[in-house]
Amino acid sequence: MDTMTTLNGIFCEVFDEESLQITRATTADDVDGWDSLSHTNLIVAVEMAFNVRFNLKDTRVLKDVGELVDLIDRKLAEKG
Amino acid sequence: MLFSSYIFLFVFLPAALLLYYLTPARGRNLALTGLSYFFYGWANPYFTLLLFASTAISYFCAVIMARRPGDPATKELPLLDDEAPVSLRQKAAFWLSIVANLSLLGFFKYFNFGLENLNALLVTLGLDHLQVEGLFRIALPLGISFYVFKTVSYTIDVWQGSVRATRNFADFACYVSLFPQLIAGPIVRYREVAAQLASRIHTSEKFARGTSFMCLGLAKKVLLADTCGKVADTCFNAATLSTLDAWYGLFAYTMQIYFDFSAYSDMAIGVCLMFGFVISKNFDSPYHADSFADFWRRWHISLSTWLRDYLFTPLNYMLLTDRVRERMVREKFRYNYPAIASSVVVFTICGIWHGAGWTFAAWGAMHGILLALEQLRTKKSAYWKWPKALRVCCTFVPISLAWVFFRAADLGSAFGYFGSLFGLAPKTAGTDLVAGVIYQPYYLLTVAAAAVLVWSAPQTWDFTRALTWRKATWCYVLLLISIATLVTKAHSPFIYAAF
Repeated sequence: MDTMTTLNGIFCEVFDEESLQITRATTADDVDGWDSLSHTNLIVAVEMAFNVRFNLKDTRVLKDVGELVDLIDRKLAEKG
Repeated sequence: MLFSSYIFLFVFLPAALLLYYLTPARGRNLALTGLSYFFYGWANPYFTLLLFASTAISYFCAVIMARRPGDPATKELPLLDDEAPVSLRQKAAFWLSIVANLSLLGFFKYFNFGLENLNALLVTLGLDHLQVEGLFRIALPLGISFYVFKTVSYTIDVWQGSVRATRNFADFACYVSLFPQLIAGPIVRYREVAAQLASRIHTSEKFARGTSFMCLGLAKKVLLADTCGKVADTCFNAATLSTLDAWYGLFAYTMQIYFDFSAYSDMAIGVCLMFGFVISKNFDSPYHADSFADFWRRWHISLSTWLRDYLFTPLNYMLLTDRVRERMVREKFRYNYPAIASSVVVFTICGIWHGAGWTFAAWGAMHGILLALEQLRTKKSAYWKWPKALRVCCTFVPISLAWVFFRAADLGSAFGYFGSLFGLAPKTAGTDLVAGVIYQPYYLLTVAAAAVLVWSAPQTWDFTRALTWRKATWCYVLLLISIATLVTKAHSPFIYAAF
């Protein structure tokens, strides 16, 4: 399963919406309930699913889903 | 010098515009800085030293942080790479700027408050003899909370590599001191205006839009906020109130603070536009919010985003320990513990930022608690199926109740007012006298008009976007009425100008 497909499942679970479909261009404005408060849930869910760990800067500068996917892929590559 | 004063409207602003547009383009930032320092020094010239100190410290520390040894002094400074190793010099510059700026704010804003509380604590402990006599009282420099937040955000942004440090001191001083935003915000980030400081376009459309922002802002302040304020002042200054009067007084204050701050934001944005600067929205129909989080996305946006970026997010991350992470996953994200704790802490700080007093802390804490409780409501909660109007009402009422803390002189008065709101206050001889003042038709009509405008009028932002002759005439008529009203009464300062 590729990063985007797994991530879509996480978004559905965290934002409690089974039919949610995300793309690389999806931003916080497009997802109902994605704000600075619920962002913590998203980050923890992503960390657990991909077995990676984000630092403060990683979580701060994300502009859209595309950047999150790139970040996950980078972290996975670093792990080898 | 306040935006709704004669001296600003009829002398300073026209003279500033004239001087600005007569100055050649490359000298305009310097001219604007000079005008801003004059504006700021009007009440107390010594306060300009603080403004200059905050500016100079942040500027030089940012240059030290960003400059690589050996680079020529003329070269554009690079963005800091946060992956690269940090030298002791860079670290020292960062902390010097943060500590110096926050110390300025801490000392000038919180010294008196700290001293009073220390003395009160000593009395409580029976150590009266150790009380510290107030050798001097610190006068609060206008706008210090706003410009210190600007310089702190610049320092952090440079440190984190999200903005390039500038070498141009005149541009940076212009950014920090820009008089339309100096007294009560918006807390514009440097990265938002950096390009505009280097070069900005002046058009007649921009100027006209700025003027209409000014007219509408002035009308909101003079015609609505100040009049609603009369009702609110009467109620909040009364010893006791009937339940109905207390709710009416609170509603009037809720309208007053809305129009007062909306007016200030409009005027600030309008004056910026007149000088060619385009800044973001600071106010987005906050009483249309249907949740507390939504309210904070709409009220004082430049402050709430500042708090989010520089306090909430780091604190949230700090609280995200391994144990907390595991627990959140185990409970299927039912409880967002870091966000719940961070909301309470950050909003209490937000309250104290507004004013050095326990009432402001209580106001902030109440908002933090409301936000924390809201975290427990899931997206599938029945609440979201209620009609929007009902959700707006359920958000508006607690927010109004929180304003009691914001407005009351002290905690005792706030609880007294809550007593009146819920029919617990004893009736005294003066209770009926209040009604004679607050139910005058002019006041009733103004408060009602304010309510209608809050929930049905277009935002100034949208109203002024495509300016037609008809809209311009409206603005002009409102300007004339506002000026005529100003003649008949003493102007009152903006509420946020006290922070």
